[in-house]
Amino acid sequence: MHHTARILIAAAAMAIATNARADTAAVVQDHIRPGFSAFAEAATTLAAIDSCDLETLRPAFNAAYDAWMQVAHLNLGPTEDNGRGLAILFWPDPKGSGWKAQRALLDGPAPSPEQMAQQSVAARGLPALERLLYPTEALLTDRCPLIHATADDLAATATTLSSAWGPFGDLMLTAGQPDNSRFLKPEEATQTLFTQLATGLEMLADRRIGRPLGTFEKPRPDLAEARASARSLRNITLSLAALKVLALTLNPDSPKTQAAFDQALSLPEAIDPDTDRLTDPQVWLKWEILQQAVRSTRDTAIAELGPALGVELGFNSQDGD
Amino acid sequence: MRLLPTLLFTLATPAFAATPDEVTQHYADLALAGYQDSLTTAQTLQQAVAALIATPSDAALQTARDAWKAARVPYQQTEAFRFGNPIVDDWEGRVNSWPLDEGLIDYISADYGNEENALATLNIIATPTFTLSGTQIDASTITPDLISGTLHEADGIEANVASGYHAIEFLLWGQDLNGTNPGAGNRPFTDFATGDACTNGNCDRRAAYLQSATDLLVADLAEMVDNWDADGPARTAVTADPQAGVLAMLTGMGSLSYGELAGERIKLGLMLNDPEEEHDCFSDNTHNSHFYDGVGIRNVYLGTYTRTDGSTLAGPALADLVAAADPAVDAQLKAELEASVAALRAVKDAGDAGRTFDTLIAPGNAEGETLIMAAVNALVTQTASIDRAVTALGLSKVDFEGSDSLDSPEAVFQ
Repeated sequence: MHHTARILIAAAAMAIATNARADTAAVVQDHIRPGFSAFAEAATTLAAIDSCDLETLRPAFNAAYDAWMQVAHLNLGPTEDNGRGLAILFWPDPKGSGWKAQRALLDGPAPSPEQMAQQSVAARGLPALERLLYPTEALLTDRCPLIHATADDLAATATTLSSAWGPFGDLMLTAGQPDNSRFLKPEEATQTLFTQLATGLEMLADRRIGRPLGTFEKPRPDLAEARASARSLRNITLSLAALKVLALTLNPDSPKTQAAFDQALSLPEAIDPDTDRLTDPQVWLKWEILQQAVRSTRDTAIAELGPALGVELGFNSQDGD
Repeated sequence: MRLLPTLLFTLATPAFAATPDEVTQHYADLALAGYQDSLTTAQTLQQAVAALIATPSDAALQTARDAWKAARVPYQQTEAFRFGNPIVDDWEGRVNSWPLDEGLIDYISADYGNEENALATLNIIATPTFTLSGTQIDASTITPDLISGTLHEADGIEANVASGYHAIEFLLWGQDLNGTNPGAGNRPFTDFATGDACTNGNCDRRAAYLQSATDLLVADLAEMVDNWDADGPARTAVTADPQAGVLAMLTGMGSLSYGELAGERIKLGLMLNDPEEEHDCFSDNTHNSHFYDGVGIRNVYLGTYTRTDGSTLAGPALADLVAAADPAVDAQLKAELEASVAALRAVKDAGDAGRTFDTLIAPGNAEGETLIMAAVNALVTQTASIDRAVTALGLSKVDFEGSDSLDSPEAVFQ
């Protein structure tokens, strides 16, 4: 009985594997699922810390943020559903909605998990934790209960998200099968991943780099992501490296794309990670060169991978303003 | 048995085979009609604003507000022309920028601000001179030129919206201070009164701002009408190369459906439970604006438009091209467009019954979330089929986005 069941499971797994295009299957199995699983693990580790000592919490917070950067560009399916991606990393927050909502929470009793899950996404996730773990103003209230509530909520979201990539990953792996109404052809799943690659690079250049870059006359270091935890440049590098993994998993034989990524990835080490230094014209120029390198990587990846994969760019969630 | 597929194919072939040339010509006609209607309804608003300023009263304010809402009906349907047509997209920020830091323009409640924008509480109406990026600005006379040339997107910040529908909306309604509870902005008509009757100060400057912003809107819309008229550059851009024109049509549909409407304008507001994140946040007209966006997307596909005078336009449609290339994609996309319009109509019906968008996004409003997410999901679903239509027609968005790295897509319309 057990033996038969195992054979059936193996057969089903093989059927799934052979029906998906190799590029799609590799990304789902080697990049997406392990990435979301590792993030869930890191978030759970952070939530398990009993202490409220900032020095104890910060390494686990940074490990969770690092883990999110491996998958933050995969903004589709379960990540979009229920706004999970936004609940993990709502950024930018131009109106400071997150801190406003958190101050209200700090004034009341610690929110229950249900209450935390109902909060505005601006009051949840990694930026919310960053504001509590790297405070820029003295607080009269004890922030410990909110730290734990926010970390627990993040872990719960991360765990649900990782689980949801099981069935959605199966949809990608069975693209084109008769009962699959989401991906009608195998190449539709591939197109979706190709689009995530291009969008991820665009978002990296326009937002993570572009916002603090501002203009030569008016750099805006204050608009950088994760500035309080001094992660701004680290996030850019991690995001770029993760996008390289996506590109080369999607199409391993992409020498031009690989060279473009390597060129871009060689730049951050010469940049001072202190975003305040952006007001120095020399530093500003280095950031701008990095932005150009990311944009050029996007163009190269689209030109090389599109024809190789036989797919065009699809619409993406960043279209529009 | 072998006859059956042939027969099905024959049945699925449209009654008349449209060509890309005809389809893009008709598309330009739809755009022209949409912007003409936007212009005439804005001119009605312009007259209503002038009447309000000449003789402020509750009734005059109500007439102006009604005119603003009526002007949104044709304009929102033109939003499907925005993405994909650079002439429209480059211009759009002047007329429909959102969200805005309205404190740039007029008084607001004390608890509002934007930490990224130093001008978020400038209040031009109360401030005849001020310093902008180190330069002294003379705003003693408020004119359309001051609004468009100096104030709009001041300091390079997009939230400094000084012109367009939403600036006018703010001046007609004022801030909506009801949060996620029912009720819109409640500006008194006496904010435009003269002498001692004036409330909240600087009524003459407020009136000048409102009139200037409305005049500017009319001028901007007139410019866009010209762009789509015979030999206008927007018309030429889509008709000179019909294949690029067809792609512009689909790009407009897909980008508005997904990233802009489903994402930025609808889902984000729900996820933030933030009534400032609703598109028409002063007037609580958001349910209508979203609905007519959805109708506009369908219009482009079906080649139809119902004008403000009730007459209808119909002609060679994008749907005909897709049906000829892949009948299944066409059938699915048509059904999905109907479904998204129906889902947006449900949100509109709720709004018309008093359950406006800002109340639907209240924390814990499960019914609101269900209504809103149904619209989001329908828009996201149809985007996948718009992608399929792009593929079915053999078009490439890559070239369209200006990458010169790839060869031109093969011509498919022969």
